[in-house]
Amino acid sequence: MATESSGFEFEFDPGFESDRLRIAWYAFIGVLLAGGAVAAYIRLTEGMASTNLTSIVPWGSWVAFYIYFVGLSAGAFLVSTMANVFEIEGMHRIDRDALFAAIISMVVALLFVWIDLGRMDRMYFPFIWRQLTSALSWEVHAYVAYIGILVTELYFSMRIDLARVAERASGLRERFYTVLTLGRDDTGEASQAFDRRWLKRAGILGIPLAIFTVHGGTGVLFAVSKARPYWNSGLFPVIFVISALLSGTALVMMIYVLRTKLFDGDSVDPELLDRLAQLLIGFIIIDAALTAIEAFIPLASLHPHEIETWQVIMYGPMSWSFWWFMVGLSWVFPMVLLSKKSWRRTPSVMVLAGLSVVIGIIAVRFNIVIPAQILPVMEGLPHGSYFPTLVEWGSSIGIMAVGLLLYTLGAETLPLTPLGGDHE
Amino acid sequence: MSSADGETLPGVPSVGRDEFDAMVDAETTDPREELADVDADTDLGIEMAEDAKRVARGDLSGDEYWAKHDAAAAAEFGDDYRETPNPAVDAGDQTVSTEAAESMQCTVGSMDTVAAESVGTGDGEGGIGAGDEKWGMVIDLQKCVGCDSCTVACKAENRTPPGVSYNVVMEEEHGEFPNTTRTNVPKPCMQCENPPCVQVCPVSATYKMDDGVVNIDYDRCIGCRYCMIACPYGARYFDFGENYDDEVDEAGEITSPEYGVDRGKREENKSPIGNVRKCSFCTHRLERGEEPACVETCVGDARNMGDLDDPDSEVAAMADSSRAFQLKEDEGTDPNVYYLK
Ligand code: SF4
Ligand code: SF4
Repeated sequence: MATESSGFEFEFDPGFESDRLRIAWYAFIGVLLAGGAVAAYIRLTEGMASTNLTSIVPWGSWVAFYIYFVGLSAGAFLVSTMANVFEIEGMHRIDRDALFAAIISMVVALLFVWIDLGRMDRMYFPFIWRQLTSALSWEVHAYVAYIGILVTELYFSMRIDLARVAERASGLRERFYTVLTLGRDDTGEASQAFDRRWLKRAGILGIPLAIFTVHGGTGVLFAVSKARPYWNSGLFPVIFVISALLSGTALVMMIYVLRTKLFDGDSVDPELLDRLAQLLIGFIIIDAALTAIEAFIPLASLHPHEIETWQVIMYGPMSWSFWWFMVGLSWVFPMVLLSKKSWRRTPSVMVLAGLSVVIGIIAVRFNIVIPAQILPVMEGLPHGSYFPTLVEWGSSIGIMAVGLLLYTLGAETLPLTPLGGDHE
Repeated sequence: MSSADGETLPGVPSVGRDEFDAMVDAETTDPREELADVDADTDLGIEMAEDAKRVARGDLSGDEYWAKHDAAAAAEFGDDYRETPNPAVDAGDQTVSTEAAESMQCTVGSMDTVAAESVGTGDGEGGIGAGDEKWGMVIDLQKCVGCDSCTVACKAENRTPPGVSYNVVMEEEHGEFPNTTRTNVPKPCMQCENPPCVQVCPVSATYKMDDGVVNIDYDRCIGCRYCMIACPYGARYFDFGENYDDEVDEAGEITSPEYGVDRGKREENKSPIGNVRKCSFCTHRLERGEEPACVETCVGDARNMGDLDDPDSEVAAMADSSRAFQLKEDEGTDPNVYYLK
């Protein structure tokens, strides 16, 4: 390991390899942001009336996207712990990618929570008043603690490279990177060991936080609703965590390939790619199997409300989202792409597989949130129906564009790839 | 026939004014007999009443009336008289001039101010919902005719916007023509003893009051709608900010003082817009000693309101009867709304 800071050689040139691509990408994000801004303006001026939500279906696309991004974040974080806690060989390369993606996903998730509030001006109230029995009250606090852990981890993972970059840089750039090291600009071995130790500690603390409180807890938030039998099961939070791992792994795999190719101009490590791909296979199988169990138990128990809900999911007007997106894009199609060893080592195919899962899981989240609200809670009350309005779609895309922008800016400035290959 | 024009319409009993007046006279009690039962001076009472009629006819002005009777009334009723609100200074269109009103010996102050004071001091430190009753409702399904009057009365009382209806009547038809039956189940908020909505609210904006009613603090609710997800009865509604402006002029001028809070006009971006709303058992009416609007209105007398903790109350007896049941009893919510089958 070449960690003597003096003789240490590295090349630090983050950002797009191609300027044309950079312009095209920022222009693309700009268009999404502009559309999102219009939608957000309508949302702010017209209030919740700009949505297709009703008193029968009070939770819609924003909530679905919120749990989707919490899942992405938890999944990406858990992938990062394979490198920094379990020290699985060769995973270190994607440690920071995963952590940074996890942070951005949380920011996006919280933006979705915020826009969904009937009173956006009161978004800080949960920190003033609490309710011990409310899962949501606990969750809000868990999210904050979790973001704290993520940032701490990213700091310990990246600090030494920040210090190295600061050493070489001058002027404003030096200041920028020095500030990010929080003044710890030592690049010696002792400081690195210190970082690794604390990175691991933070990771160990983060694992239960991510599994049980952040994402499992988000599942609990739904599962405690006795009024909605479809959610009211013990398996539900577990599936939440598994599908989070699925989407998080897919995201990290995608980001790894794209950033290596487009930003670092390097070649992708086929071993690492294969390892991620195999993980993905495992998660797809567990996710599909648990979902089948989750469907089978209520169907076998002949509970009318649950049977009807499953009928709505599988044969209702929105069943396309179940068959094409949930089953097709998040399970079957990626499974086909992952089936051959040579494909698992082909970056373009794996990007496609990752993208397929990442999109498919969106449908999983919608199919969690919406169907449980379609059947009335009491016989004699009207059935619900819901499809997001343009304002809801537009603002959702805008919020995601904010995430893309933040991610790109970070990827263009931060040493997300470990420098000098000292992290095997 | 004493009918004025002598014409009789088919099917309409031909009765003239004189007969009506005679009926009224026959029904009126003799004032002297009536007043004899009261401690106060009978002659004074009759004299004041006769003069009051003359004021009504316009033969006497309000000022003259009070100039004539104020001293005698004060002498007769003493402190009771001096402490009553002054009936003359109520509104802008009062019948007595301001000078005359001020010269009177009874407390100068309108009925309104006195009423407001007595509400404010009524139940001491406790405030709204602090009563030691446990409010409960019993709805007799045998008496409900499914007319939806309760729903309408509730909308009028609470001035709920479009899409918000604290009370609905769930109507279901069973069987096939001609052998059909119909069940009507009126459904307000159950004011559950163990309310899931309270359990899930992240900011404790919704909570149970001492009198058993589940309150929503519109100034604290962040509009996350978790409570709507948790309520097993679909009793909660989100206020999307819609109005009846097209239907009614100045529809938002008045709002109902739900949970005892007067919020003035309904305005954009002002609570309860963006909040979750639900039936409050008309807490503001209960505090005034009135029944909820739906109970008062019910044409079949199917709805009953009272204190479930008071074993002598009618509702307690009804809730105890073998006909009584609650909706979704196995949810464990223990509603304070009972039904009689
Ligand atoms: S009926 Fe619904 S809103 Fe009313 S107290 Fe029960 S759970 Fe809460
Ligand atoms: S919508 Fe309001 S009352 Fe309902 S849970 Fe959220 S904050 Fe509480």
